[in-house]
Amino acid sequence: MKTHLSYFRLALLALMPLLSQCTATRPKATEAASLAATTAKDKPAKSAKELPPAKDDLDDYAVVEISDPIEGFNRATFWLNDKLYLVVFRPISKGYEKVMPKPLRKGVYNAFENVKFPVRFVNHALQGKFKNAGLETEKFLINTVAGIGGLIRVSDKVPVLAELPDQDTGKTFAKWGMGHGAYIVLPFLGPSSARDGVGLVGDYAMNPVNWGVFWGGDHDWTQIPPAANTLRALPGQLSTYDSAKRDSIDPYIAIRSAYVQYRAEAVKK
Amino acid sequence: MNRRLILSLIALLPLGGVVATPMDDAQQVLHKGIDEVLALADRAPNMEALIERLTPVLEKHISFSVMTRRAIGPGWRQFSPEDQANAAALFKTLVIRSYSNSFTIGEKPVINYQSASEVAPGRVDISSTTGYQGTRYKVIYRVEQSENWRATDVVIEGVSMVANYRSQLDPVFKKGGVAAVLKSLEQSAARPQ
Repeated sequence: MKTHLSYFRLALLALMPLLSQCTATRPKATEAASLAATTAKDKPAKSAKELPPAKDDLDDYAVVEISDPIEGFNRATFWLNDKLYLVVFRPISKGYEKVMPKPLRKGVYNAFENVKFPVRFVNHALQGKFKNAGLETEKFLINTVAGIGGLIRVSDKVPVLAELPDQDTGKTFAKWGMGHGAYIVLPFLGPSSARDGVGLVGDYAMNPVNWGVFWGGDHDWTQIPPAANTLRALPGQLSTYDSAKRDSIDPYIAIRSAYVQYRAEAVKK
Repeated sequence: MNRRLILSLIALLPLGGVVATPMDDAQQVLHKGIDEVLALADRAPNMEALIERLTPVLEKHISFSVMTRRAIGPGWRQFSPEDQANAAALFKTLVIRSYSNSFTIGEKPVINYQSASEVAPGRVDISSTTGYQGTRYKVIYRVEQSENWRATDVVIEGVSMVANYRSQLDPVFKKGGVAAVLKSLEQSAARPQ
């Protein structure tokens, strides 16, 4: 039974980075995302006379790049994951959506996000953002106490807490100056890179929902929180995956590009 | 004397208010366009109807030709005028479908417009935070002036729609040229939803 649960949890875990990578995806200097995203920062507007002349607009968007030395293998894993999402995870996700009313799903989602507090707190601190680490603590306490164990995200009503950027270990590595390394499509887990793959291990270890796996002894119940954690995120992740893939020319490149751009933006925060 | 000076200053005050900067114009046009889109999205009975209703509005507010040539990149110069028109039409289909599919019927996004910056003459980036289905997204609309102000890219959480297509189309062009790009666009546009 435990073995089955382990596989189930692993399989469910697979989709975890999808959302974080597809929805919302890191880079080289050639990245157009930074072009588009950085230009809209809260800088004071310059007068048209001071602005640089528009470049050749055909060269405006350089190709988003990341080293992909094992592209063939990655494409095979991507294909396999795609089938797995279709055959296994989508039915599970649909079932979850059918069984759980939306407000309840939202509450469960919020509670699991709230419990991830140590991941965010530690990474704020590792990046030297101690003020943010303090705000993160405040957010956790408010949501836990006023938000009934994190079911309601009360902190959204406080702008400084609502805008607090999410943190993960991959971002911390990037802040420390580490590059992506090779692009990797992880079995079940989806798009990642050498750096972010290692980061995932850190995130997994720091997330209290997984602590039972390490310290809970040889009990089946230890598999429930991580499985539930993955299940609560499934509908959103699959929806994001679908939208990134749906109108693409080459789904593999579309998702790789989105991943690189998204992570580049996330690292800036 | 003092009274006359004050009166003159008061008379001039409204002028400051009516001098619209390019950023004001761009924001006004964008807000209007998005309001139109949201009103339609709110009333659409199903996705097919939504796509049908959104098409003329998006055609008015989005510059598909600019998007297409940037998504293809320098290879665009090798396209004949006929190929260019063909590519732009196919790309338009993809963008409209992609945009329409991002809506869930009955779910209205809450858009909070933030800063705007003129990144080059005739180009304005407008930042916003969009709350949709319980999640907040940072969205930047790139708006450019040709005859009118029109959107030329949408960047959601750092992911640029045009850059994403550029990454996909570049290898296709390098491998097979104009014909391969057109074929891949045709295949994607024809893919059942």
